[in-house]
Amino acid sequence: MTFESHAETVAQELDPTPSELEPDRILVAASTSPLRDSLRRFTRDRRAMVSLGILLFLFIGSFVFLPIYEHIGGIISVRSGFIHIGPSDYHNPVPSVLGEHTDEGPSVIHWLGTDDQGRDLFARVMAGIQVSVIVAVLVVGVLDVGLGVLFGVLAGYYGGIIDSVLARFTDIVFAFPGLLFAFLISAIFGGFADQQFGASGRLILVSLALGITIWPQMARYVRGQTLQLKNQQFIEASRTIGTTSVQIITRHILPNIASLIIIAATLDVSTTIINEGVLSLLGLGVQPPGASLGRMISDSAAQIPYYPWEDLLPAITMIIIVLSLSFIGDGVRDAFDPRSKD
Amino acid sequence: MLSYLLKRVIGLVLVVIAVTFVTFFMGYIAPGEDPVSALLGNHQDPTLRHQLIVQYGFDQPWFVQYGHFLLNLAQGNFGLSYFFQGTPVSELIGPKIAVSLELGLLAFLISLAIGIPVGIIAAVRRDSATDTLLMGMMLFLYAIPSFVIIPFYQVAMVFLYQHNLPNLPVAGWGDLTSVIAPALILAFTSMGYYSRLTRTVMLEVLGQDYVRTARAKGVSERAVVYVHALRNAMLPLLSVIGPSLAFIVSGAFVVEVFFAIPGIGYQSVQSIPQRDWPVLQATVVILAVAVVVMNLVTDIFYSIADPRIRITEGG
Repeated sequence: MTFESHAETVAQELDPTPSELEPDRILVAASTSPLRDSLRRFTRDRRAMVSLGILLFLFIGSFVFLPIYEHIGGIISVRSGFIHIGPSDYHNPVPSVLGEHTDEGPSVIHWLGTDDQGRDLFARVMAGIQVSVIVAVLVVGVLDVGLGVLFGVLAGYYGGIIDSVLARFTDIVFAFPGLLFAFLISAIFGGFADQQFGASGRLILVSLALGITIWPQMARYVRGQTLQLKNQQFIEASRTIGTTSVQIITRHILPNIASLIIIAATLDVSTTIINEGVLSLLGLGVQPPGASLGRMISDSAAQIPYYPWEDLLPAITMIIIVLSLSFIGDGVRDAFDPRSKD
Repeated sequence: MLSYLLKRVIGLVLVVIAVTFVTFFMGYIAPGEDPVSALLGNHQDPTLRHQLIVQYGFDQPWFVQYGHFLLNLAQGNFGLSYFFQGTPVSELIGPKIAVSLELGLLAFLISLAIGIPVGIIAAVRRDSATDTLLMGMMLFLYAIPSFVIIPFYQVAMVFLYQHNLPNLPVAGWGDLTSVIAPALILAFTSMGYYSRLTRTVMLEVLGQDYVRTARAKGVSERAVVYVHALRNAMLPLLSVIGPSLAFIVSGAFVVEVFFAIPGIGYQSVQSIPQRDWPVLQATVVILAVAVVVMNLVTDIFYSIADPRIRITEGG
């Protein structure tokens, strides 16, 4: 991966020849900031934009519409003489109340029907998407991009002890194939997290377990890019004019690796959502009666011969999410990778 | 070559020690009821309790326990189960390893046997409808996790069964019919990965001068593709066997659980509610070591096939 073209642009901005100081030239230079350029390329990618739209609709909809839907369901059920089904019942079924509504098809009250315990499938799918979003934000947003970029830049820029510690830690995490490390952590500490912190404790534990295995990869990646950038002329130039290290990192290094962080983070969102699904269906993620897409798939597998829809609904939701993320990932790579300029 | 090998083996030993230490330490600091009380259940007899503590070695400091753990591991002994009193873990998971190995190996072979030819066909018919269709399918298989594909498979099989059409079993393990589906589904991710990589590499190789020369001197198209081009395209493919095995190992957990296959993945998932950490630890160590060793073997093959690797890395 080369930054030469970008580095040249920046170097030119640092050391402008007189002709480039003309107002027109500066305007042109400002409008072709690489990040803005990439963003424009990305918005032109129709498949990626449609996928992004679908994904945002699902993600935001699950948070905004779930409370509204519970309210609608409640009102209709009261008016039509059914027992009021409040928000907590979607997650915490009382068999005597909900038992009579098991395995129903779609209706005005339950838009996508109910499961074997009489719980509303639409509400549970939305709750499941919420779990995916929360875990993705915690893992990728906080741990992956936060820790990964911080340690990667520090290790790459300063080297020394941070670099060696990071390298050792990364080696250990990478020694575990795939999900095994996250599997081990959530298996051993899951019960403890439940007892101490309840359902949100379990969610945070799963996020930590998935985050621990994913951020070293980002850190190693960012470290490599930082190392490469550090020795480029424009960085040396700014150091000679007395720019502090903090300023070099925030003003020069971070903007230059931003595209690569975006590409890696997009891929990591997909990995994280899938891995959360795997942990949940192995019984290590969200605990019943809570809803998670992975858990719903494994729990209703027994219903397949009788009510296949109950199992296919979370599976289809997962497919939509994963495919959208895959298309967005392709689009992001095409748009943000410095090698693929059109 | 020898110094390269030595370096790699030392690296492998360090990685294995790191894995065993982390795994041991997790079990050591595991919160919740201590295993001895759990084993005793309703009969909290002090004498028996003391016996068990000594039998399991809990009276020793942690580094002594770890030393025993490591020594036992070296002899293929994974300690005693916390759930089934006095039963060695190796007895519990021994028969399961063979099943998992069979499943994993089969999935690996399927992924190669389908992935590589599909990639070659797509590369040869570049930009045709066949190419688009095949690569679209492979992208789908690569992107979609197995736990989402399995429900669709089960629905389809139940439908076939209900209509008295030929079908495959949805669970179990044993005869060939019950083996096909899990192995195929486990292979999907790697298959997608291999086919896409094969296509990229083949396109690159087919564009090179020596291929043009071969065509120019009248070598048949078939020989150009399968003899001249494929041989050089195999090298990059060899290097991704490691990551693809890691995919198969972690994917096996899901497939074994869904298909109720008596492998170590299923066994270790069952041992979570039993809080049987030694079984979990043994599984993690076995799988990690298997992947690390396979990575080493791949690298050795790689360095035999491409001498440049030894010269630059081996020193």
